[in-house]
Formats: sequence, C-alpha cells, structure tokens
Amino acid sequence: MQKTLWRYFALYRSFFSHNLKNEMIYRANFVINIGLDIFFTLVNVIFFAILYGNIETVGGWTFHQTLIIVGSVGIIRELAYLTFRKGFLELGEYVRTGNFDVMLTAPMNTAAHLAFRHVSLTESLGEGLMGLILVGYGFAHLDAATWISIPFYLLMLINSLVMYYGFCLMVSSLVFWLIKSQELNTMIYYFMNTARYPRDIYHGLGKVFFTFLIPSSLIATTPATILTGKVDADLIALSVLVAIGLLTLGLFTWTKSLNHYGSASS
Amino acid sequence: MHISVLLYLWNAIYKDEQSLGNYSLSDLITYYVLQLLINGMVLSYISWQIGTEIREGSFSNYLVRPLNYLHYWFMINLSGKLFEGLLISVVGLIMAGLLMEHISLPTNFVTILHFALAMILAGILAFEFDFAIGILAFWLVQIDSFKYMLQYGMFFLAGALLPLDLFPALFQQIAHALPFRFMVYFPIQIFLGKETQPYEGFAIAGIWIIALYFVLRFGLKRGIAHYEAVGK
Repeated sequence: MQKTLWRYFALYRSFFSHNLKNEMIYRANFVINIGLDIFFTLVNVIFFAILYGNIETVGGWTFHQTLIIVGSVGIIRELAYLTFRKGFLELGEYVRTGNFDVMLTAPMNTAAHLAFRHVSLTESLGEGLMGLILVGYGFAHLDAATWISIPFYLLMLINSLVMYYGFCLMVSSLVFWLIKSQELNTMIYYFMNTARYPRDIYHGLGKVFFTFLIPSSLIATTPATILTGKVDADLIALSVLVAIGLLTLGLFTWTKSLNHYGSASS
Repeated sequence: MHISVLLYLWNAIYKDEQSLGNYSLSDLITYYVLQLLINGMVLSYISWQIGTEIREGSFSNYLVRPLNYLHYWFMINLSGKLFEGLLISVVGLIMAGLLMEHISLPTNFVTILHFALAMILAGILAFEFDFAIGILAFWLVQIDSFKYMLQYGMFFLAGALLPLDLFPALFQQIAHALPFRFMVYFPIQIFLGKETQPYEGFAIAGIWIIALYFVLRFGLKRGIAHYEAVGK
C-alpha cells in the first residue's frame, strides 16, 4: 500500500514537472491567463460589493463573510487544476479520437492517469491567488475570527475537493455515451460558478437539488462557515457524507462506463 | 441554472425584509427574465467569427466581392438574432408562465411600443460595438482574452449583471454617460415603467448609432489598409 502510494507520488511529480515546463514555454500566454482570471474574479467581487452597497446581509452573510466563500471557490478551483480538472476537460477528445486506449493500457490506474496527465499549475493560478487574497482580506475583517479555525478550514477544503472530484467523475462518465464533452464541461463550470452564493439563500426543493444532485450549495459554503465562526456540526457531517457518497457513486459510474468505451478506428 | 440561483438569491434578500433600491421582488425577477431575453435577442457575439476570419486570412474573400463587410455582418447578425429571439421567446414565455405572480407587466400599450423600439435600437447598438471589437483583429492578432474582458466589461456597464441604479452614485453617473446602458438597462427600465425620459433616451441612442456607423466605416477602411492577408 505504502509502496503504491509512493509510486503514484513519484508519477505525479514527473507529470507535474513535465507540464509545468510545457506551460512556461509560452510566457505571454501565462501572463494573459493570470490577468484574465484576476479580471473575472474582480468582476465577481464588484458584483457583491454593489449588492452589499444596497443591503446588509444575504441569507445572514455579511460582505466580508461572502468574500470568504468567493475566495474559497477560487482556491478549490486551483487545487482541482493541480490534481484532476484538466483531464476531465480533455476526456471527450480522448474518447472521440480513441486516444483513450493509451490510458487504459498504461501500467497505472486509469482514473489517476487521466487526472495526472495534464495537471496544471498556471491554468487557474490567477483565480487561486485572488482566492487566497479574498479569503485573507475577508478573514482580517471578521469580528469572530480565530486562528485555530484555519487547519479545520483546510480540512474542509480537501473535503470539498473530494466532492468536486466525485461530481466530475459522475458527470464525465456520461462522455462514454455522448462522445462529446463540451456540454458536460459547461455544466461543471456552472456548478462551480454558482457555488459563490451562500447556501442559506436556498429553501425547499432548490435546497435539496443544490445539496444532493448538484452540491454547489455545500462545496464553498461549508469551508467558509468554519472561518466565519458559523460552524454547524450538522452541516459539516452533511458535507462529508455528500463527498463520500459522490465519490463512491462517481467511482461506480466511472467503472461501469469504462466498459462502454468502444475505442475508435483501432 | 444561473438564473434559478439568482432567483433564490433575490428571494432570500427580500424575505429578510430588505430591498434593493426601488425595486420590488417582482421588478427584480422581471429584470432578470428580460435580461435573459435580451441576451438572446439583442446582444451580439459575431466578433468571434470576424476575428477568426481576419486572423486566418479568409477575410480576403470579401475584398474581391461587391459587398460591404459591415452591412454583410449586420444582416447575418440580424437573421441570427431573429431566429435565436424566436427560440428564447419560447423559453421566456415558459419562465414567465411559471413565475406568473412575480412578473411585472406593463399596463399600457405605449410602454410596449417604447419597449419594442428600445429593443431594436439596443440590437443595432450591440451589433456595432461587437463589430468594433471584431475588427480590432486587424491590429491585434491574438486578442481572445482581451475580447473576453472588453465584452464582459461592456455587459457589466450595460446593466446585464445588476441594474445600474444600484451602483454607487459615482459609477451610476459614469454608466449613465456611456452608451452601453442602451443595450440592456434602458429597454428593461422602459418595460418596468421606471424610465422617466424615454424620448431623450431614444434620441441619444440614435445619435450613438449614427456616429458609430461612421466610425466603423472609417475603422474598417483603415483596417483593410492594414490587413496582411495571412496565408493567402
């Protein structure tokens, strides 16, 4: 077990350094990517700033508390790009062209290969850095901030990452039937985009929908509750359960779907 | 998906007995349903194709044809928007049906006429701005990211994300002085019966449309002089 873990760690490292070298060749592109990310994050912040210029709270969340949610989305996105996100973006192409054969035959777990194949530090770096700044800024302006909450926040971020991965696995499994992944990727993108709003705005059916079917009300709000002193044991338990549930379901649909892969032209 | 989340957001705000500016919950929901309609019927996205044509050199084909590139794209955009408008109207009607009790409808016929006129002006203006972004490709080769920012910034100042009168006073004045508000904010304000000077707005939008037309003709001429015909 430990040996396999080390092996995958080494594999990740070599994939990572290979991809980083590739990305650094195109320096201008790298700068533009970051600039674009910062621009869009700023637009989001301005949206909330204007909104909070007119009102006090949204679902009980103040402006600075909401910034922590917005920042958390950025951090989770960057973590996802560092671990698995790009593979799913490219999966449709692999399946359509039959290049997915390589992943199936390589001496490495297929899901892990897909995830690590294109780990990217820079793809979402601007949003990740902006996320850190926003979380820091929001945190510094809180009344109820305690340093002790930070490690628990990080733990819940990892939980959210697991949730994100499970969701991606589940949704992307459909690629093997649809052969096209554009719409699925758009859906995953919107899933993260709508995670910026506090969970407390939902009620009734919408709450159930955005918790169990599309967990966008949990993924960023749950970590943010810890930093903002809104800790709720039930919410944390729910998030962990949803993460585990999605991962299990995702792995299940993924394995089933692999059998449906028909390859192409070879 | 995004609009349903926004509906929850507005609902939550109004449930806490807060309100945004002088908008009632119904006004706000109507604002976003209309914004969805306008996105389909009015806002133009042809600059992506124009940019590609110029960058990849297929623009050369138009140079030898007896047609005006600006007019040509205007007609293409018009037909596209009419078709998309038809589709999006169906979606809009279904949504309006579902949200019936939350939709603020205009009460008199003149308002509807004003709204229709404002939508037409908005469509022309949106096309002109998008065309301007498209022909930037004559001077800047790789501008996709820059274009994203321009387009998004423009839509923001048009009131597509938030109604402009919720902005802080200074930004409100800036947004009011710029022509972008005629693309989204102005037609919706008319529909909601909040626009106090529709005729003045029509006149200003009309002047912008005419002025931009000449600027674009001039820009296109300069652009063609600058054009390198890559790959031909």
